[in-house]
Amino acid sequence: MNTKTRLLWIVPGAVAALSLPLWSNDQYQVHLAALICCYWVLIAGLNLVVGYTGQLSIGHVGLLSIGAYTFAILGGKWGWPAFASVAVAGALCGLCGLLLGLPSLRLPGFYFAMATMAFALIVGEFVLAQGGLTGGGVGLPVPGFPPPFDTPEGFYYLAVIAAVVASVLTWNVARQMYGRGLIAIRDNPVTAQAVGVPVFRAKLTTFVFSGVTAGIGGALFGSLQSYITPDTFHFELSLFFFVCIIIGGRGSILGPFLGVAVLTALPELVAPLAKLGNFFYGLLLLLVVLVVPEGIGRVFELIAQRLRPRSAVSVPVAPDLPRLARAIASIQALK
Amino acid sequence: MLMVIVSGLAIGALFAATALSYNVMYSTSKVLSVTTGHIAMLGGVFGAYAISALGQPWWLGLIAAIVVGGLFGWLTDLIAIRRVLARSDEHLWLLSTLALATMVQQAVGLWWGTEPKPFPRLITQDFSAGIADQKFWLPIGLAALMAIGLEFFYRRTMYGKLFLAMSEDAFAARARGVSTDRIRVASYVIAGSLGGLAGFAAGQLTFAYFALGLTLTLNGFIALAVGGLGSNVGALVGGLMLGLLNTFASYFFGGEYQQTIAVGLLMVVLLVKPEGLLGAQNVRPV
Amino acid sequence: MMHQAQPGDAIVGPASLSASVVSKEFGAVVALNQVSLELRPGEIHGLIGPNGSGKTTLLNLLSGYYQPTSGAIQLRGEELAQASVRRRAQLGVARTFQKPRLLGTLSVLDNVVLGAWTHVEPGFLATALGLPQIARADRDLLDQATELLHGVGLSHAIERRANLLEHAEQRFLEIARGLAMRPGFILLDEPAGGLSNDEIDHLGGIIRTISDAGIGVLLVEHHTDFVFRVCDRVTTLDVGRMIRHGRPQDVRNDPEVIRVYLGA
Repeated sequence: MNTKTRLLWIVPGAVAALSLPLWSNDQYQVHLAALICCYWVLIAGLNLVVGYTGQLSIGHVGLLSIGAYTFAILGGKWGWPAFASVAVAGALCGLCGLLLGLPSLRLPGFYFAMATMAFALIVGEFVLAQGGLTGGGVGLPVPGFPPPFDTPEGFYYLAVIAAVVASVLTWNVARQMYGRGLIAIRDNPVTAQAVGVPVFRAKLTTFVFSGVTAGIGGALFGSLQSYITPDTFHFELSLFFFVCIIIGGRGSILGPFLGVAVLTALPELVAPLAKLGNFFYGLLLLLVVLVVPEGIGRVFELIAQRLRPRSAVSVPVAPDLPRLARAIASIQALK
Repeated sequence: MLMVIVSGLAIGALFAATALSYNVMYSTSKVLSVTTGHIAMLGGVFGAYAISALGQPWWLGLIAAIVVGGLFGWLTDLIAIRRVLARSDEHLWLLSTLALATMVQQAVGLWWGTEPKPFPRLITQDFSAGIADQKFWLPIGLAALMAIGLEFFYRRTMYGKLFLAMSEDAFAARARGVSTDRIRVASYVIAGSLGGLAGFAAGQLTFAYFALGLTLTLNGFIALAVGGLGSNVGALVGGLMLGLLNTFASYFFGGEYQQTIAVGLLMVVLLVKPEGLLGAQNVRPV
Repeated sequence: MMHQAQPGDAIVGPASLSASVVSKEFGAVVALNQVSLELRPGEIHGLIGPNGSGKTTLLNLLSGYYQPTSGAIQLRGEELAQASVRRRAQLGVARTFQKPRLLGTLSVLDNVVLGAWTHVEPGFLATALGLPQIARADRDLLDQATELLHGVGLSHAIERRANLLEHAEQRFLEIARGLAMRPGFILLDEPAGGLSNDEIDHLGGIIRTISDAGIGVLLVEHHTDFVFRVCDRVTTLDVGRMIRHGRPQDVRNDPEVIRVYLGA
């Protein structure tokens, strides 16, 4: 999708999103939109890990949980200011990302996925076991934010701001050299090495970043829920994040965003789907993997290609040697 | 104390059986399927369904478990492996098996319910049988049988040797006219049947529980990684070690940190010997 | 027949990339046995030999995918054997692959500009924050990559998805990507494989242009005619040993080389 087409999608969407509380009377819709934004903060970071670097992490619900509980404990139990608590939640989850990533990112795909799944389960165990800190099975109330973010509409705007920041940061990485390096790591690590990309360092950096966004997203998510228990962070939520990215399409920022928006809203709008819950997500993931592994965004691209007239003529390669010489010389001149 | 050991061996036997299933499927497809733990879950659930809900005799329940397991193994290959192996993207099978595992877990949850249901007694026995309780000895016995059976299969039968050949070098096997596709399907059906049987045998220990699949996938994998990918003896050793560690840790420290301790074991082993205790060096895990 | 010291065997030049008496063993298999090769800046050096002679092994030793069992790999006098593939990329050693390795979902232009990674070494945070120097560097590198693509003859495919390229286009793309790395040396692994005669001529022109710019080119090839046509020096291997090296006309007429290629 080129920039013009993207803007056609984004601008009206952004306008609608920003004005939502004004034209929607339904508190629930505002709540849902805020939820999408909280999820997106996490997913935007996870997208760089899964969609760009190709590391199949299925344990990010653990980081969401740590973020939410940290925020609840610091801001709620210990009375810290809300924004400071969010910052600490983000930093702590970044640290967890570092500790989890250091040993696991060197492991091959399945081992890594299992390691992240184990991490999520371990976080769950820890939360349940440390009842004194986390309230155990009973859970914790989660504080809100100071005015003007203390109303549902106000919180929604806070969530939107966070979502926009996450989008801009990840979009910057995706479209520039760093993003190309990540895609190289995903699709052809030998090539990545051959051109000098620091493979492990890049994997770890994006993973730590995804930890930070998960922590911040978790804090916001917890605040939105206003009360959290260990059951709030069931493992299937990790799967949900993952599926949003794969379905939306790897190597895209807009795709996963549309993915999370649609997949969050869908069970609310189509009641039978809500009952099927995670079966539906599993089915969707399977269909995408079998039919359009590059995500649904690719389907639109393919359709657009079919509609556009294609030149069937194969053009022979015809080097322009003087131009090549000049190009090499100008590159060498900058050495 | 004896109880701790016996129950540890029993749950360890289930982990070992899962690890053996992993090995069988891995040997012919070089794929570690997320659905491996779910096979045993299906064996337990359908066994309980046949005996308790449908009132069938225990051996019919046994057959049901084996058939359902084998069918699910076949389904795993059909849906999640066959089409996906042909593509160049290495990790698509991780996604497809993950998707299938989720679907089967949720479907069973919707149908069977999300509460663990008791698994029926297979042999008349008093519930106060202590360490002699069949819920321990059935899985232990079965895991031993499985390991011996697989060993016999691989070493003594033609088909088993074909499996081994394909595991060493699938390309060469194909070049010599071996139908690698058919062998792969067969291996998935076999792994499925064995897994279903294992789930059935361990049913009284684990209860018929829809969510067993994912934890078993993880713990079975830990057993596999500890013992060494590709080694059946390693699968046994890894499984039993993990089971014993679980029960001993619960006994001394309470059962709250089971997963943490399991992963701790894995990390310690991988740090010392990355290919697992009995794994071959240069076995390239996926 | 063992390699004998020959007239014209100079001490390895100060700016060269070289393998000195390297051996490479894989268990019991001796892939390379005390082979030496020197690649000088601006020269086109051919490396030929029958299948199994160790050409690819030598290429992998020079580019960093293998470590020698014994002997030295040196760049400009410095020991290179411990240097990682990434480090060698930073030092200006580029290579292409026997089977082209492209990023299929990216455009041809993106594939080429990726080659310039080591000259930006972008940081994650700086990129995420959208700092202007990163954006500026990106723009400049894209311009340079575009010029390279025009140069190798892929003007018509610049925005195309890389997995839609034909074989010859893929090979030329890899060369452009290698050039984007600003290499001092570029190692080509059977670049003529699968090319038509016209395309091989184009390849020859590109290689000459590269070497004229002062970049040393190692040409590992099966098309011996092509090698003798374009190269300044040629090294011949057979079953892991070097049997002849020198000027193309000398190598081509060497009785040992003829025996190896035509059978005894």
